[in-house]
Amino acid sequence: MTSATLPAIGSAKPSALRPGRVLLYVVLTVGAVLMITPFVWMLLTAFKSNLEIAKFGWLPSELRWRNFSEAMQTAPFLRYFRNSLFIAVGETAFTLVVCTMAGYALAKMPLRGAKSLLNYFIVLLLVPFQIILVPLFLIVKSIPLFGGNNILGHGGIGWLNSWWGLIIPLGAAPLFTFLARQFYVSLPDELAQAARVDGLGEFGIFLRIMTPLIKPALITIAVFQIEAAWNGFLWPLMITTSDSMRPLQLGLAIFSQNPAEIQWPYLMAGTALATLPMIVLFVFAQKRFVEGMANVGIKG
Amino acid sequence: MSTTLERPALGTPRKVSASKDSRTLLKSQIRTGWALLAPALLHSGIFIVIPVIAVLVLSLTNYSFGDTWAWVGFGNYADLFRDVDFQASLWHTVLYAIVVIPISMAISLAVAIGLNQKIRGLSFFRTAFYIPTVTATVAVATIWLWIYNPGSGLANGFLSLFGFAPNRWLADPATALPSLMVVGIWQGLGTKVIIYLAALQGVSRDLLESSEIDGANRWQKFANVTWPAIGPVQFFVLITSIVGTFQVFDLVYVMTQGGPGSETRVLVMDIYQNAFQDLKLGYASAETVIMMIVIAVFIGVGRLLQKADAND
Repeated sequence: MTSATLPAIGSAKPSALRPGRVLLYVVLTVGAVLMITPFVWMLLTAFKSNLEIAKFGWLPSELRWRNFSEAMQTAPFLRYFRNSLFIAVGETAFTLVVCTMAGYALAKMPLRGAKSLLNYFIVLLLVPFQIILVPLFLIVKSIPLFGGNNILGHGGIGWLNSWWGLIIPLGAAPLFTFLARQFYVSLPDELAQAARVDGLGEFGIFLRIMTPLIKPALITIAVFQIEAAWNGFLWPLMITTSDSMRPLQLGLAIFSQNPAEIQWPYLMAGTALATLPMIVLFVFAQKRFVEGMANVGIKG
Repeated sequence: MSTTLERPALGTPRKVSASKDSRTLLKSQIRTGWALLAPALLHSGIFIVIPVIAVLVLSLTNYSFGDTWAWVGFGNYADLFRDVDFQASLWHTVLYAIVVIPISMAISLAVAIGLNQKIRGLSFFRTAFYIPTVTATVAVATIWLWIYNPGSGLANGFLSLFGFAPNRWLADPATALPSLMVVGIWQGLGTKVIIYLAALQGVSRDLLESSEIDGANRWQKFANVTWPAIGPVQFFVLITSIVGTFQVFDLVYVMTQGGPGSETRVLVMDIYQNAFQDLKLGYASAETVIMMIVIAVFIGVGRLLQKADAND
């Protein structure tokens, strides 16, 4: 694991072997190891037997792959996994559509009060979701004409226990509208002008000319949103009552709800399987993702 | 709506038609703009603005999901001042924020500066530091739950290497909250490192080089060029950290459930229990309003610090 971090012998840069450099690599490597150790530990534990975990140790005596399959069978994990995937994809699609549209309008359309609208989204960005937990629950419960509600939102459960409720309220965060706007603003107006001369409408310019140019932003938004949805815990805990819609994280938490008999190897196996897709996603998206983050802090 | 733009007639570039075209264009842009903005405005209005207003209103009532409720004025707030659980939660949350925010910001900046040198294996390091962030808090909490396990955990295994006596970590009132803080810092590094790294890469090379020519040493270059240049990003990281630390819930919910006793009880947890287990929605809303005020104070202090820094 550490071989990738050591400077190659006879490296082109003469500065590569200065003591300061060596120290830098040592410190960074120690830091990286501290970051990764718990995961290595988790993976190793997933292969151990219940007997082995009673004492402190690193390596499992044998690789019990069956821990993974048995863990998957203790609860309907396949369904949890599918639910999480569905929520993540739905929420991300919804967010990308709503936030790019709004970001483009704020950046490029000559709207009166565009500046105040931008400030509106920036202020909203500061409202933590937990603050509005209670009324959000009530609003979702009284969405009109859903879940047995009448037109005034009374009588039923609205979006509680529904995919709508899991996906829509937490999608399209103001942060992503702001992020998209920061990218559109830096695109030159001449591009839009040229497309206009060619007879393309305003919506076509947004969709076919400008949006393909902000791929780093789209990837950043997608990664953040997929992560948030995949790792969501409190909201699904609140609004779902049936197993059929519960996501992965709730499934994993059920494992440790009874402290007296936690099945550590199974829990670790399940946790490893839940984490893997997100790590793979980051490894593949990271370059564009970093480009995407570069614009977040820019003012204006 | 997207095809209303008329093509300019060929060979007649007269002023009148040009201004008519530009007026048509402006109208079409404004119409498209509002249409594009409408879904985001509607969504944020329903799911953020209305709830914020509702919290303020509910906090003045004794609403509890039932059909009957009454105005109670500031009664909920008065009760909160006598509520031991609430006071403990508020204190723990503030303490958590005060410790976690500066430490994690300082470590992240240091790591980002390290990664901003011309180093090999950048993507490996980036991934390594980001792994805790992409992992669900529930998963992170589970791993750490076992690291802190008094019997067979990694933390005590590490202590025993140096001959120290084992600690009870999360089960010991004295170390429970600090143990959670360590996890919070560890988990939050990734995003901050990446934001700082992106910011550092945007610092002007010209400025750095010219200050080098003026004879500035490394530290002076950092203090005079880099630090001011990443100011806006610092502020962004600070704000998101404040909002993030006040949101701490999953971590506590899985690792300690607020215990031992109420040594690690935090605000969101208290709100959650009051609202959804005791069904005291009005009361929980009053708690939420206080949380909003505390966050606003933190952000206000952050702004002041940034202003003071900029005036130096």
